[in-house]
Amino acid sequence: MINYIIRRLLILPVILFGVSVLVFAMLMLVGPYQRLSTYIKSPAELKTANLDSLVEKYGLNDPFHQQYGRWISGVLKGDFGWSETAGATVTEAVLQRFPATLELALLALIPVIMGGINLGVFSAVHHNDPWDHVTRVFSIVGWSIPTFVFGLVVLMIFYGVLGWFPPGRLSVWASDIIRSSEFVQYTHLNIIDGLLNANLKVVGDAIRHLVAPVFSISILWWAYILRITRSSMLETLRKDYIRTARSKGVKERVVVKKHARKNALIPVVTVAGHMVLGLLGGLVITETIFGYQGLGQFFASAASQLDYAAVLGLALYFGFLLILINLCVDVSYAIIDPRIRLE
Amino acid sequence: MKKKIGVLLLSLVLVFSLASIVGAQEVKKEDTLTYVTIGNQNTLDPHFSYDTGSAEIIYNVYENLIAYQGESVTEFVPLLATEVPSEDNGLIKDDGKSYVFPIREGVEFSNGNPLTPEDVKYSILRGMINDRDGGPIWMLYEPLLGLTGLQDLVSEVLGEDISPADLSSEQSAEVFAELEKVIEVNGSNVVFHLRQPYPPFLNILAQGASWGSVIDKEWSIEQGAWDGSPYTIAEYYNPPKEDDPLYDKMMGTGPFTLEEWENGDHVYMKRNDNYWRRTANFKTVVIQNIDEFSTRRLLLQRGDADIIYVPNQFLSQVEDMDGVTITTGIPTQQNMVGIMNWEINTKGNDNVGSGKLDGEGVPSNFFADKDVRMGFIKAFNYKAFIEDVRMGNSIQIGGPIVRPLLGTSEDQPVYHQDLAAAEEHFKNAFDGELWEKGFQITLLFNTGNSARQTGADILKTYIEGINPKFKVDVRGIQWSSYLDALVQGNFTLGFMGWLGDFPDPHNWVTPYLAGDGTFGGYKGDLYKEWANETVEPLIEEGITTVDPAKRKEIYKELQTIAFEEGIDLWLDQPTGHNVRRTWVKGWYPNAMRPGLDAYILDKN
Repeated sequence: MINYIIRRLLILPVILFGVSVLVFAMLMLVGPYQRLSTYIKSPAELKTANLDSLVEKYGLNDPFHQQYGRWISGVLKGDFGWSETAGATVTEAVLQRFPATLELALLALIPVIMGGINLGVFSAVHHNDPWDHVTRVFSIVGWSIPTFVFGLVVLMIFYGVLGWFPPGRLSVWASDIIRSSEFVQYTHLNIIDGLLNANLKVVGDAIRHLVAPVFSISILWWAYILRITRSSMLETLRKDYIRTARSKGVKERVVVKKHARKNALIPVVTVAGHMVLGLLGGLVITETIFGYQGLGQFFASAASQLDYAAVLGLALYFGFLLILINLCVDVSYAIIDPRIRLE
Repeated sequence: MKKKIGVLLLSLVLVFSLASIVGAQEVKKEDTLTYVTIGNQNTLDPHFSYDTGSAEIIYNVYENLIAYQGESVTEFVPLLATEVPSEDNGLIKDDGKSYVFPIREGVEFSNGNPLTPEDVKYSILRGMINDRDGGPIWMLYEPLLGLTGLQDLVSEVLGEDISPADLSSEQSAEVFAELEKVIEVNGSNVVFHLRQPYPPFLNILAQGASWGSVIDKEWSIEQGAWDGSPYTIAEYYNPPKEDDPLYDKMMGTGPFTLEEWENGDHVYMKRNDNYWRRTANFKTVVIQNIDEFSTRRLLLQRGDADIIYVPNQFLSQVEDMDGVTITTGIPTQQNMVGIMNWEINTKGNDNVGSGKLDGEGVPSNFFADKDVRMGFIKAFNYKAFIEDVRMGNSIQIGGPIVRPLLGTSEDQPVYHQDLAAAEEHFKNAFDGELWEKGFQITLLFNTGNSARQTGADILKTYIEGINPKFKVDVRGIQWSSYLDALVQGNFTLGFMGWLGDFPDPHNWVTPYLAGDGTFGGYKGDLYKEWANETVEPLIEEGITTVDPAKRKEIYKELQTIAFEEGIDLWLDQPTGHNVRRTWVKGWYPNAMRPGLDAYILDKN
């Protein structure tokens, strides 16, 4: 398995190179004056902007290989370029937003996976009884509601009416605390930093701001994971070895939890991998509704503004994540089912 | 155990609920002002900034020599100067070519450095040396030197077309010697020397214009800004934003200091306890960026936001909200105009069909025909646009200049929809050929701007109804493509807007009417020739005339020409509104303020 992991990691730079060439080529399809819009943001600037000299200054009319060469040589030195959208270097912009995305992802991951799997197993075990119908309806409804509608409903009820879970990442008073000289931001993950600084007020405030987005993400993903788990579980429960276990008099609880559930998890792991990728890549709509500054919003604005440095940087980030997550998924297969060999 | 958890959860629910109910009814966080809006800041450098998002922060941290008085955009009060120059007090001299500003003593920057006249001189010269591409510094060059930027000055002084970025140290010193003539320190005074009178000069230096901000010389040099040497122009000219040392740092004399700026998310400002006037009422000012209106509305409703940005179409959603005050009908210095390209590029341009007058496209000079322009103008439904799109919150305009500036009046003529007249104009266009053959054209708008889209849709509806052979398509494109279409000459007719830099008609006639104006410059040579003969002499006369009565007549004439010739489809001047919690006291409008003025507000 170690060899397999090393091999996969070694092809990582090749794949990332391919991704960057592809994305760069796509960006080059847009004319130089269109790409200049990254720098000229309003008609007022047209008065004194010498557009031709700006095109020359940023080398927007240079041949593909020159423009790509400039960018890739910067990347090799650790410089991913300047993002006009973020008003910072791409590295700074990603590092600034990554903790918010990671915190949201980490908090959402456990309830989503555990909740989805357990509901799926529950539904499969109660196949065709009223509980099964309830969970199936829940999964259809949950997956059908558009994120922006559900997110707004959650916000209106839990913040607008009840005032429990406000939008944003922290309250102003908590932001004052984390910016103060007494507070050390070790990870920029507010909950962990709050714990490390023994400041439970900050921890509480950070959790309070995360509940609503985590809840709205959870409901939608629960629905999806529930469906996958349920169908996989139903298939597994019909297998011969399950029948054998039952005929041997093994308790139903043990049959389900020990014999069936683990084997039913293979497709769930694949879906969970995609979910992790989605969460770590940022969730544009959730972030927009809950005023949560993560990578999703940044990626969306960078793409719409043809901010090529940011788009390329984020493409590499996604490529890296995708490869890493796929690797984790493959390794998980072997752990879940030892019959699977990673060669 | 389960029972205990249940009790704990119930207690938490009750505590949160109680806190929320109390919070919604009482003033929240009295020492903090929270403004929730959209957009971000391009920079925090006052000489680089040319957008309202940046100017809003600069307004609260930096100060200018003078400021507007209350709601007025024509009267001033001294700020870092002790007097507003005027001919009456003898501080405007040499027939309007010298302006003397006595600098206030005892003022300190928030780091404790004292303000001196040298700081003022440094600030102006630093801006003029920086002079970034597409930036605002033309507003210092035009009045002081009658030029548009440092490039022009270099060409003038050295007599050759060399970039300021390529100046040798000797050439730099030569150019600097000329540059330095515009501003002089005379004891505790700073004197500006203009090459010719420029009536709106005080507006250009007044607060709200970030390019007139006074920065701390010593601190700025420490940060890596222009070192004050005559020999280093090349090094500091037109810096890329990422290399600008003042991009994300601020040091002003204003009522607030910058605490934290996370671009696109939030800005935290703290009270400047070293402020020379009464200190601000708020310890903290937060400007939060939240793109989703529903979220902003909930924050206002809960009292977690004190002021929010509300687009026109959502105004009705906050009208009946308890504890919220809405001020509408606020005069603004902006307009919306349907720009018509007099010389459209027809090669490889999807917007003009065949590119010929054959019923399947339009020729290059389509909008150079006055009858075509008037046909479009008369077909537009102005009443519906103002009532349905603006919800009544706008004033129709009859030319490029907005009210209440010189050249405008309440009884000035404006366009009205007249479909019979439109038909008549179209019949006369291209000697009747247009009516016989018809045309096909695409109107563009930048996606996300619903007012501009509706404007184009209105034209489509009525023009296609006039003659079945007329075909108008409306296409939304990104700002990037919009810019590209403008530059390549592929633009046909599209709605654009201008946000005033300073409240003077010169700032309105130049972009729209001048042949090299921001919009006029993209209408082709046909328009340039026409403008050169017709309007440009008047524009030049307007800015060099000091007598307000004479200026009024000049701008009135320009407004009339623009109206009668139908140079563009002059549409409207939207009025603004402000939505805030009632507990926010002291707010008043000023059309030249870039946004929030936290200093004038209070929550007690």
